[in-house]
Amino acid sequence: MTAAIRQAARASAQLAVAAGLAFFSILFITVLLITVVVTLVVVGAGLLPETVLLIRRMAGFKRSRVASWTGHEIPEAYLPLRGTIRERVRAAVRDTCTYADLRWMIAHYLYGFLGLLAVPLWPVGLVVDGARCGLLRRDAVVLPLISRLADLDAAWSVTLLKPPPKALLAERVTVLTETRTSAIAAHSAELRRIERDLHDGTQARLVALSMRIGLAKRAYERDPQAAQKLLDEAQDQAEEALTELRHVVRGIHPPILTDRGLVGAVRALAASSGLDVTVEFEGLADDGPRAPAAVEAAAYFVVAEALTNSAKHSGATRAEVRLTRLANGLRVRVGDEGRGGVVAAEQSVDVGAVGGSGLLGIRRRVAALDGTFVLTSPVGGPTVIEVELPCVW
Amino acid sequence: MRVVIAEDNALLREGLILLLTSAGHEVLAAARAEPEILPALLEHRPDVAVLDVRMPPGFRDEGLRAALAARKQIPDLPVLVLSQYVEQSYAAELLGGGATGVGYLLKDRIARVDEFLDALQRVAAGGTALDPEVVTELMSRRRGTPLDSLTARENEVLHLMAEGRDNTTIAETLVITERSVSKHIGNVFLKLSLPPTDSGHRRVLAVLAYLNNS
Repeated sequence: MTAAIRQAARASAQLAVAAGLAFFSILFITVLLITVVVTLVVVGAGLLPETVLLIRRMAGFKRSRVASWTGHEIPEAYLPLRGTIRERVRAAVRDTCTYADLRWMIAHYLYGFLGLLAVPLWPVGLVVDGARCGLLRRDAVVLPLISRLADLDAAWSVTLLKPPPKALLAERVTVLTETRTSAIAAHSAELRRIERDLHDGTQARLVALSMRIGLAKRAYERDPQAAQKLLDEAQDQAEEALTELRHVVRGIHPPILTDRGLVGAVRALAASSGLDVTVEFEGLADDGPRAPAAVEAAAYFVVAEALTNSAKHSGATRAEVRLTRLANGLRVRVGDEGRGGVVAAEQSVDVGAVGGSGLLGIRRRVAALDGTFVLTSPVGGPTVIEVELPCVW
Repeated sequence: MRVVIAEDNALLREGLILLLTSAGHEVLAAARAEPEILPALLEHRPDVAVLDVRMPPGFRDEGLRAALAARKQIPDLPVLVLSQYVEQSYAAELLGGGATGVGYLLKDRIARVDEFLDALQRVAAGGTALDPEVVTELMSRRRGTPLDSLTARENEVLHLMAEGRDNTTIAETLVITERSVSKHIGNVFLKLSLPPTDSGHRRVLAVLAYLNNS
């Protein structure tokens, strides 16, 4: 009986909020009508996006209430309202979600008051169910009806608040456009970095080397000892140029990936890290199918960077790497048992910035491939980095 | 010495042949692709093989695999593996199981002709030649181990030992007497709690095993 009462109370709270919202709907519909009318005579155009935002907030509130009742999130797919007033008005009008929200609000104005039915159900329920449970030792029947009411409210809300398929597509296009822009930006930033490395490093060294050989040729007859010294220096320069070139090459595409594939390369990383690393592969094998090169490289750099960080800062002695082949991608998970507290650069991926080192560089690489990057590192540890890279393979 | 080489890049192949012949060695065969390597080795049974890691047709690690395969058929065939870049795990594969007569060097090292020929000689005689870059990576990866207690000089000595050099060369490189080299080596072994080993290949293996497993 207590459980039935508690459940009914929870449902009543849910229904009360719904009724409250329904009451507000009247207000909103009125405000919207006014706004639309005023917009038609241009004066109130500025108000329209604001009103749409308010409606979105109200729909959002309902979504979160329903989600907490059913335990399932209801997705959103709004077009962003930004830019000049003109653009915002256009986006507000063009967004199919605006109309979906409006439909919900009108419907909700009606079904929201469903909750009021709970009021008479309470006294009846307490008496009937009290008798059934107390005297007949049977299950409650009336009070659970209140829960059914809340279920009904939730079910209708889910149907009405779900973004229309068109809006989901539109949102996907927006996301893809954004990630493609950042992919292109990341790519050109990478090209700039390589160009600069080659220009400032290797090229400069080769010039210096060539110069030394020229000087040595001049000194050859006159001062063989000086010529010898210059040639020695030239050889040093040549070696440094080669070292730098190797470094640049590693940064573009680690040669071991070409040689051994991701599985072999990650094993090599684990072996050469200062930590005791356990490596697990799910659905990946040494000579199995290979992910696209860009995905392999990104996964490799995620593991490399995470292990380097763990070895340098976490104080951990052990780490765990797990690579999982997913139906539509690759998941990389690196965890250590260190002291945690790793702060990722939380700013949204700044596509204009150049640089590819550290966690920020990793985030950028992952974002450029439309992947996700999740870092959990509470103070006291453990630190876990989980990256998912979408790809077909 | 009788040498078989495997190198796909024509420039480097000709350069290597020129260098080896001018140093008085005999180049019996020069493989240009992976399928040619093993037959050439089996046919000529050279004193030492010099193999490039990345070879046609796959341009992956054919040379390394060929080296490992060749040593299965011709046990203790001295092999010097050259590469455009060094990878610690490759070194571990080559040296696995206490193999003798193995070298693993960056291609850049060829330019230091005398050192390169010295390394080749060492490998042919059953010794080791490990690229300084591999050794640096091995030594830098652990913190909080007995390695920290080594003095700078002892570190240098350990480094050169791990590359596979003998006391005389270490003494020459560091410009110190052979006696003090022996003293430093004694200290290194003491600090790393390794059993004292006579000079030579077993010592290198002991040091590498320590660096690999610490």
